[in-house]
Amino acid sequence: MMYSNENGLDHKVSVYIENLFSGVGGSQQLFDLKEELSINIKEKTIDYQSLGMDDEQAFKEAVISMGDLGGLVDDMRRIGQDTAKQSVYSTMAARISTAGIVTGVLLSLFGLFVSAIIYFQDYSLQDAIGPGIFIVAGGALITYSMLTRESRKKYAMNRTRALFYALSIGLMLFSLFVSLITYFGEGEMYAAIASPMLFFLAGIGLFLYLALTETDRFKNI
Amino acid sequence: MAGKISTDLIRGHTDTIILNVLRQGDSYGYEIYKKIIELSKRQYELKEATLYTAFRRLEQDGYILSYWGDETQGGRRKYYRLTDNGKQLYEQSRENWTFAKCILDKLIEGGVNDVLK
Repeated sequence: MMYSNENGLDHKVSVYIENLFSGVGGSQQLFDLKEELSINIKEKTIDYQSLGMDDEQAFKEAVISMGDLGGLVDDMRRIGQDTAKQSVYSTMAARISTAGIVTGVLLSLFGLFVSAIIYFQDYSLQDAIGPGIFIVAGGALITYSMLTRESRKKYAMNRTRALFYALSIGLMLFSLFVSLITYFGEGEMYAAIASPMLFFLAGIGLFLYLALTETDRFKNI
Repeated sequence: MAGKISTDLIRGHTDTIILNVLRQGDSYGYEIYKKIIELSKRQYELKEATLYTAFRRLEQDGYILSYWGDETQGGRRKYYRLTDNGKQLYEQSRENWTFAKCILDKLIEGGVNDVLK
């Protein structure tokens, strides 16, 4: 009982939403609201279809029963014009992101320094790799913070998705870490490839999935 | 249905109705809409247009907060959660409502002679 063609519904909804907000200046809030309204209309259309309406009628009913969205459009127009307000909205998120990047970089550098200290102290590569785990954590944190940052060209990614990205980068860095530990520990190349393999595959799999389902976050200015 | 609720009457209570739904667990736009219909035993519908306007206001005032769900198919849902301030506002609004209901009942249905006796 799904829409005869899932993309057909996606397309219809996005055309409707784009028309509704056409000419409204871009803002993070507009971007979020569009996504929120889209999924609502989609779910409602599917519910109407399961009541026996045909595709076209279900979509129309769903749109009509939303009520008058004019007030929201006006709200968004006001925010789009008022850039000062926009920056207020995003300062908190930007601050968290900045703190994340700084912490991530410091964490990575800390790992690097401790690593170097250990290496030059007893010249054991195996021991020196250990603090690399800080770089793994730092790398994941930097990934997350960069993606949740709103830039001049792009809107911030939503936090859950960014978290998955951070996880995938973390897994890949971790597999590298495990690989080096194993290699310098046991001196066996096959073990260095075998032990981190699962982490790496999980990380790359997750990364590819995310990258291929990416939505457009570019601002059209 | 015998009577109907005027828009004016319900408007002042939209926020409280939403807070009451969220008090019972985090939820997203369309689900909140359906829950309100259910709560009214299918006798009243708050349009999404009204709901989303209220969400934005309540979030700005710090009574609710929002986060994105991790659905992957067909877009993500934006969930709302009651904050501590929201809980307080709900309790206060409920008290006010109980009081107002009692007074209005007297004003609208009471006989003057019963009181003055």
